Amino acid sequence: MVTGIGIISPIGIGREAFWTNVAKGQTGIKRITSFDTSSFHSDIGGCIEDFEPREFMSPSVYRRMGRVSRMVLAASIEALDDSGLVLDTMDRETVAVFVGTAYGSSCHVENFYVSFLVNGARGAQPFLFPETVPNAPASHIGIFHKITGPNITFCQNELSAEIALSYARDILLHGVANVALVGGVDELSPILFQCYDALGALNSIKGGEGQAVKPKPGCGLVLGEGACVLVLERGDFAAERRAQTYGVIKSGVMRGGIASLGHYEQEGDQMGLAMAMAMEQADVTPDAVDGIHVSANFSGELERMECRQLEKTFGKHITDLRVTPLKYLTGDYGGAGALRAAAILMGFRHQSSPPTIAAAMLQGVVGRPLKWDCGTIGKSRCALMTTSTFGGGSSSFVFANE
Amino acid sequence: MSSDIFPKVVITGLGIITSIGKSVAEFGEGLLAGTCGIGPISLFDTSGFPITRAAQVKNCDLKDTLDEREAKRMSRCDLLGLMAAREAMADAGLDPTKVGGSDIGIVLGGGAGGMLSWEKYRRSLWSGKIRTRPSLLFSCACCSLTDLIANRYRLTGPRATVATACSSSSTSIGMAFDLIRARVHEIVITGGSEALSEVTFAGFNALRLMDPADCRPFDKNRKGLSLGEGAAILVLENYESARRRGAAIYAEMLGYATNSDAFHMTSPDPEAMGMSRVMAMALERSGVDANEVDYLNAHGTGTKTNDPLETKAIKRTFGEKCARRLAVSSTKSMVGHCLGAGGAIEATATILALCEQVVPPTVHLEEPDPECDLDYVPGKSRPLAIRIAMSNSFAFGGNNTSLIFCKGQK
Repeated sequence: MVTGIGIISPIGIGREAFWTNVAKGQTGIKRITSFDTSSFHSDIGGCIEDFEPREFMSPSVYRRMGRVSRMVLAASIEALDDSGLVLDTMDRETVAVFVGTAYGSSCHVENFYVSFLVNGARGAQPFLFPETVPNAPASHIGIFHKITGPNITFCQNELSAEIALSYARDILLHGVANVALVGGVDELSPILFQCYDALGALNSIKGGEGQAVKPKPGCGLVLGEGACVLVLERGDFAAERRAQTYGVIKSGVMRGGIASLGHYEQEGDQMGLAMAMAMEQADVTPDAVDGIHVSANFSGELERMECRQLEKTFGKHITDLRVTPLKYLTGDYGGAGALRAAAILMGFRHQSSPPTIAAAMLQGVVGRPLKWDCGTIGKSRCALMTTSTFGGGSSSFVFANE
Repeated sequence: MSSDIFPKVVITGLGIITSIGKSVAEFGEGLLAGTCGIGPISLFDTSGFPITRAAQVKNCDLKDTLDEREAKRMSRCDLLGLMAAREAMADAGLDPTKVGGSDIGIVLGGGAGGMLSWEKYRRSLWSGKIRTRPSLLFSCACCSLTDLIANRYRLTGPRATVATACSSSSTSIGMAFDLIRARVHEIVITGGSEALSEVTFAGFNALRLMDPADCRPFDKNRKGLSLGEGAAILVLENYESARRRGAAIYAEMLGYATNSDAFHMTSPDPEAMGMSRVMAMALERSGVDANEVDYLNAHGTGTKTNDPLETKAIKRTFGEKCARRLAVSSTKSMVGHCLGAGGAIEATATILALCEQVVPPTVHLEEPDPECDLDYVPGKSRPLAIRIAMSNSFAFGGNNTSLIFCKGQK
C-alpha cells in the first residue's frame, strides 16, 4: 500500500503542485539558466528553479548537504507527513529507507575533485567528501527521521528507483519491515550535463532565450532532476491504523537485458517479459490495464524498443495505443521511477488519469509537435509502469486503484 | 524464517583479486600466511599527500585477459571485477549457455566505480586539453560492472547495484540471499569491486582517517585505516540446484541483517547500538545461538573510533563470556579497506576460514589496546574448529550489515 507521497520536481514543489501540472500536461523542460551551457550541443533540461530547502527544514540541518540530499529529505518530510505516520510511536527498526539514484551528488564529486586539482593534495576540502558517496541522501533521511531499519541505496542508471521500489515491496511482504520510505533522486549538475554532452547522448536542441522548448522524440536524451519519496506500508499494517491509501503495488518484476555499455537492450525482449510477468503476477490481463506509463526519454533507442514491446504485449498496432511518457514533461534521471509511480498514484487519488499521447508519437515523427490528451477524466483502476535503462535492465510494475 | 520453508543458500563459486593474491588460491595462501599487501602507490601521483600507502593490486596487467578494444573502454574497477567474475563462474562450473542465463540474477555492491577513469577525463578537461577521451566516461557509473558481467555471461535475471559505501558488497550478498530464499532465482552472482582513485584517496586523507604506516586494527597505537582495492565475486545458489548440478559447496549462508545507526554521516554511534543490533538480528534471522559462532571477521578498520566500538558491540551481542572465546580478526590489516568491495572480500576470507578451519590473523597488532580486549588472533593464523562464522561491515552514513556462514550444510 502507498500511503504517502512527497515531491520536488521540475513541474512542481509538493505533490499537489506536481499533480496540477501533470494533469495539464505542463512541461518542466526549459532552457537551463543555472549554469553556462554555451559550449554544449544542448541547453535544455528538466530543471528545478524554485526549491527552497528552508521551507522544509532548518538551515542547520541542510547546511552541509548536497542538493540531492536536500531534495530527497524535503520529499521524505512531505511524504511522511502525508502518510500520517507518527514515527515516535513506532519501533523505528521496523521502518526501512530505500533510495535509487544514478549518481548521488555529482556536484560534490566535482567540487571535491576540483578542490584537489586546484589546491593540491593538502587543499582538498574535507567537508565536501562525505556527500560524494551515493548513499548520502538515504543516510540523511535515516539520520533526520531517526530511522534505524535497513537503509539501502541502489544505483542502476535509469532503473535505480524502480529497484528500490521492487526491493521495498519484497521486504514488506516478507515481514522484515512494516513501513518503507522509497525514494528516487538525482540532480542536473553542470558536470553531469557536460559528461552526457561529451558522449553525444543529449537532445541536440538549443532552446534559445525566450523561446518555447520543444524537444523531439528520437533526437536524444533530455536530462532532468528531482526527488520523490513514497511511503509504502504492508497491507495489514496500513489497515490496522486505517491509513488513507493511494493505491497498491500489485507486482514488481526486474529483468536484465543484454546491451552494450551506453546502449539499451536492442530488441527489448526482457522488457517485454517483465511486462508479461508483472501482469501475470498481478493477475490482470492487458485489457484490464487502463494506463500505460512508459520510460521514453526522447532518446530514440529506448522509444523504438518500447514501441516494439508494447505492440507485442498488448497485441495491438502502435497507432491504437495511448501512453504516458512522464519523462517528456520532467526530463530523465536515475531516480525518476519514484516520480512516475507518484503520477500514477496521484491519478488514482484524484480519480483522473495522467495525460497521454498517441504511442506512435514515441517513434519521433520529425516536425510533428507532441500532442497531449489531458481530457482523460475518469477512474483509472489499473496502471502498468515499464522502465528500461541503458546498459540493460528492465522493470515492470502493476499498480491498482484499491 | 524457518529453513524448512525457505531453500538453503550455498556458495558454489568464488573469485577474487586483491593486493595479496590474484586468485582464490593465492588469496587464501596470503591470508593464512598473514601477508600484508599495503605499500607505496604507483597508480597515481601521491606526492603532497600526508599518507602515500595503500593496498594496490600490482604486477598484473588487467587488460591482458580481455580484448584490447573492449578493455580500453573499461575502468580499472570493471577490469578487477571481471577478473574475479571469470574465476567465480569457472569455479562454480557455470557455463551460462548450459545453465540458461535467464536463471541467473546479479546483485553487486559498488563504491567509487570508475572514478579513476572519470578523474582522467576531468583532469584533461581541467588542464585545457582540446582532445579529451569521452570513452572514459562509459564505465564511470558504479553499476557498469554489474552490466558488464551480465552482458558478458548473458545473465537476464534481476540486476541491481547496491551503493552503501563500505557495506555495499555485504549488503549485495544479503540481497542475493533474499532472491534465492524467495525462490525468485536459483543462482545469483554477487560481490563487488573497488579501484583506488584520487578522489577516495584524497577524501580519506582530508578526513585524517588514514594511518601513515600500515593499518593496525585493534592496536593501541593505531592511527587509522589503509585504503585498498580489489574485487570478490561469489556465486550464491539454491542448495537443491547445486546438488542437481553436482557443484562443490564452499559454505552455506545462514542469514544476514542490515540496519542503520541513524546517527551521523561519518561517525559511528558512540553507544554502538546499530552495530550490536545488526549482529543480534543476523544471529536471530539465521537461527544461530551466539555461542555457536566461533569466528568473527570484523569490520576492523584500524581507526580510533571503529575498533573499540566494534569491540563494545561484539561484547554486548555475544555476552562477555562468549565474546572472549570468539576468534576475531581484521582482513583489512592485510588487504586494506577496499570500500565497496570490502564486504565481499571479507566474506570470501570468512568462507575460506570455514573451509580451511583456520582463522586468518590480524597483522601489525603488536600492542593491545585496553579498550580492545578480545582475541584478535594477532600476527599469525590459527587452526580452529569453526562451526559458524560472522562477517561485519559498517559504512559511512551508518549503514551496517552482518553476514553469517557455516561450513557446508549446517
